[in-house]
Amino acid sequence: MTVVLEAKNLTKQYGDVTAVDNVSLAVEKGALFGLLGPNGSGKTTMIKMLTGQTRPTSGSATVLGIDVISDPVGIRGQVGIIPEQETPPSFLTAMEYLEFVAAVRKIPEIDTKADWWFDFLDFADKKNVLCKDLSRGTRQKLMFTQAFIHEPELALIDEPLINFDPIMQDLVKDFLAGYARKGKTIFISTHILEVAEEICSGFAILHKGTLLHTGPVAELTARDEHLPTFFLSLVRKDRHV
Amino acid sequence: MFELFTNMVKEEWRIHSTMFGSLSFALFPVMIFGIAFMGSFLVPLMRTTIPAGNLTLIIHATYLMLGIMVGGFGLLGNEVMNRRFGQASLLAYSARSLPLSEKFIFSNFVIKDTVYYFFLWVLPFGLGYILASPFTGVPLANAMLLLLTLTLSFLFGLCGVFFLSAIYARSRLALLLILLAIGIGLAGLAVITGMNPVLFFPPLLLYSAFTWVNFLVSCAVLALLFGVAIVLFNPESVGSEKTYRDSFAPLLQRFSFLPNPPFTAKDTLDLYRSGSLVGQTIFSFLLPLAVIWFFLSLLGPFFPPHGLLFLIAITTGVIASTMYTWVTMFDTFGPYACLPVAVSTLITSKLTTFAVLQAIPAVFIAAVAIFSGEAAYLIPAVVLGISVSFYAVGVMAWLCGLSPNVLVYDVKVLFVYLILIGIVLTIFTAAAFANPYYAFFAVILALPTWLLVRMAKIRWDAVDPEGF
Repeated sequence: MTVVLEAKNLTKQYGDVTAVDNVSLAVEKGALFGLLGPNGSGKTTMIKMLTGQTRPTSGSATVLGIDVISDPVGIRGQVGIIPEQETPPSFLTAMEYLEFVAAVRKIPEIDTKADWWFDFLDFADKKNVLCKDLSRGTRQKLMFTQAFIHEPELALIDEPLINFDPIMQDLVKDFLAGYARKGKTIFISTHILEVAEEICSGFAILHKGTLLHTGPVAELTARDEHLPTFFLSLVRKDRHV
Repeated sequence: MFELFTNMVKEEWRIHSTMFGSLSFALFPVMIFGIAFMGSFLVPLMRTTIPAGNLTLIIHATYLMLGIMVGGFGLLGNEVMNRRFGQASLLAYSARSLPLSEKFIFSNFVIKDTVYYFFLWVLPFGLGYILASPFTGVPLANAMLLLLTLTLSFLFGLCGVFFLSAIYARSRLALLLILLAIGIGLAGLAVITGMNPVLFFPPLLLYSAFTWVNFLVSCAVLALLFGVAIVLFNPESVGSEKTYRDSFAPLLQRFSFLPNPPFTAKDTLDLYRSGSLVGQTIFSFLLPLAVIWFFLSLLGPFFPPHGLLFLIAITTGVIASTMYTWVTMFDTFGPYACLPVAVSTLITSKLTTFAVLQAIPAVFIAAVAIFSGEAAYLIPAVVLGISVSFYAVGVMAWLCGLSPNVLVYDVKVLFVYLILIGIVLTIFTAAAFANPYYAFFAVILALPTWLLVRMAKIRWDAVDPEGF
């Protein structure tokens, strides 16, 4: 299988704090890969490094064959990204924001594509509302749309289900699984273990910036072990160390 | 009340000190103090050409202008609280989960900002003048009085604009009527007394002859302006949704000849829909410049012929360069981090929008030239003002990237900015004073401007785009 994302000894330090410490992992094409870890474990920093939003202190990584250090903008041009916190610009409407994204990414036929997403995520009634006036859930729908509207080969999503109601969570989970089945790759970070177990094909566990484990979910299933139990035992053991 | 205020002050300190170090931030007022202290030694020299009363006028006008430029709190309402630091400004938000009204939180925010500006600008300047007074022959009592009247001058600017911007947010017609009434009042005062109404500016009156009654009346007026502005403040109602028909696509077409059309279209919508384009033009540009023009007009006899026009043109250029802060205040790099956009692209796009906005200072300088009967020098004055503005924004972009509102408080940044701007202002003011047509030489500033922008792009692309 083709590796679409590869990190080698990736490290990020903020002053004296090491947010990510010497992490190596690889994600194959068509995978739905979950980066798991408790709060503050370095998941968001890892995604930021892999999408060229922050430079690694040491180590290297390639995403779709592009080096994250030498061409961060090139990576962002190829992948879809949903950051954890960032919201769309305040004074554009939802539709205008998608037009802005389309203009920057040079996506043709934006009206048709946007309408499909407005219908699919059920927020067509918010099309002309200013982004600053949208609820958190609707903003998340909009960010989700901008990440997938150009049908990227790889999407990196920080906490994909956050702010979504249960119905929308279900819809999004199905979409992500279907997207991966089409041969595209999804890389998500989450601390909702049940979701990861339900939809992910592979996973990695980060704790205090260190990689504790990486492998396929099927490996656990074969051992009749559940991901949440495995995760908790590993993290608790590491805490005591 | 006091706890929220003190915590907001602490938060502001920590945000700045985290961004560029406690020392760099702490030294900012020390530098202002140093400038005032050393500048005081020039006072005896300047008195040989300009009367002391006129020097006082300039200083008071400067502080009034500073107050005017920072006082537009009513313009953006709640937005002003999160604009400066984006998501870093947390206290104003977290306080919303407490049993406190929006009005109360906003009042604390405005008072905190006022106190901050006082300690960063007004007090250090006054102290510098006071401590230099034994060496410059200025009586200590006089220097202390100056500190008091400068503070009042700053507060008049701040509270006045806070009041007017709060009115503007409620009713533009009401603002127009009030400005008209003020204009008629000032004209009436000039006709009745035969004196320039500027001389009735309360802090100036107090400086020339201090009386407790005048002082208390000044304080009462300030309290009234501030109080009314707070009462008029209209917190955004939660749950309200503003809708607009699609304006982005037509703008994208219209700006297709520019380097980054989507960004210029977005910036234009930001400025227009936030009310900033008109509001900032009135409160952060036209009003301070009108005040400066009004005050400087009293100094006409001390300048060479046509000197006043070119001084206004240069001042307009410097103030027009702050339009870069209008276009950078709406977003951090964050919202662009999920797109194939480099910081240098964003700098280019913000500078493009800035360039479009330069039509405003160009028209202003042209209007000053026409109304002051010096239309013959309209073109050199506009060339000088706009060249200075572009040069100053080049310096700003190089030193601060996309965060001029925040990084200006880094003492190193301010020092370099003042040196680079000061040299240019001195040279071109002297040149224009010597011969009005020498102002055309300001076009050579295009070269350092181009170099500075180039350096800015390389510099800020090499820094992590995250943060403020």
